[in-house]
Amino acid sequence: MAFLEKSNWVVLVVGVPTLLVYAVLVVPQVLGKPSAEVSWVQPMIFAIVGFVVANVLGNVVAAASNPSDADKNDERDSEIDHVGERVGNWLIIAGSTAALVLAMTGADHFWIANAIFLGGIAGALLSSITKIAAYHGSFQRW
Amino acid sequence: MVKPTLVTNSIRSLRFANGEMTQAELADRVGVTRQTIIAIEQGKYSPTLEMAFRIARVFRVPLDEAFQYSDEQG
Repeated sequence: MAFLEKSNWVVLVVGVPTLLVYAVLVVPQVLGKPSAEVSWVQPMIFAIVGFVVANVLGNVVAAASNPSDADKNDERDSEIDHVGERVGNWLIIAGSTAALVLAMTGADHFWIANAIFLGGIAGALLSSITKIAAYHGSFQRW
Repeated sequence: MVKPTLVTNSIRSLRFANGEMTQAELADRVGVTRQTIIAIEQGKYSPTLEMAFRIARVFRVPLDEAFQYSDEQG
């Protein structure tokens, strides 16, 4: 398995639990009280920091498991990376646009921050899924 | 991204005709990962023109002996 593919598996393995833990901490609150009273800042900070730190550690472990492959990156890897990033960026843009609309309509900070957060995490996950699918399926640029 | 390619190749037979060269050895000589050589051999990835030339050069054959373009339109 190419190192970049491993790296994208790390994003999935780390990102999905991060999103689930955040949802478990926040969604029950949203259902039970007004959004202005929801305690979301601390869980979001933990989720973002945890996601970044776990990604770094996961990549270190992946690199250590096969050091000779860790710095190998060829044209196919770069092309797959570009396509995956382009696909993932659509969700990041969607999240940002939603946040903009929410801010313009005077929505609570909770909804604005969560639109950006979910767009970012979902974009990263979609990007990784696209890249892993490209590694396993047919990837043609001609 | 997943449109079918009409580009086929003879890399596998060229490897065997060249002392049963391994995919790893070809990858090293072309400067790509073994996974990329596997994907090209299986028709899952069409290399860039430059990579195609590098592969043909390893086997010392013209480009169209390593890669072929089918007239079939599927």
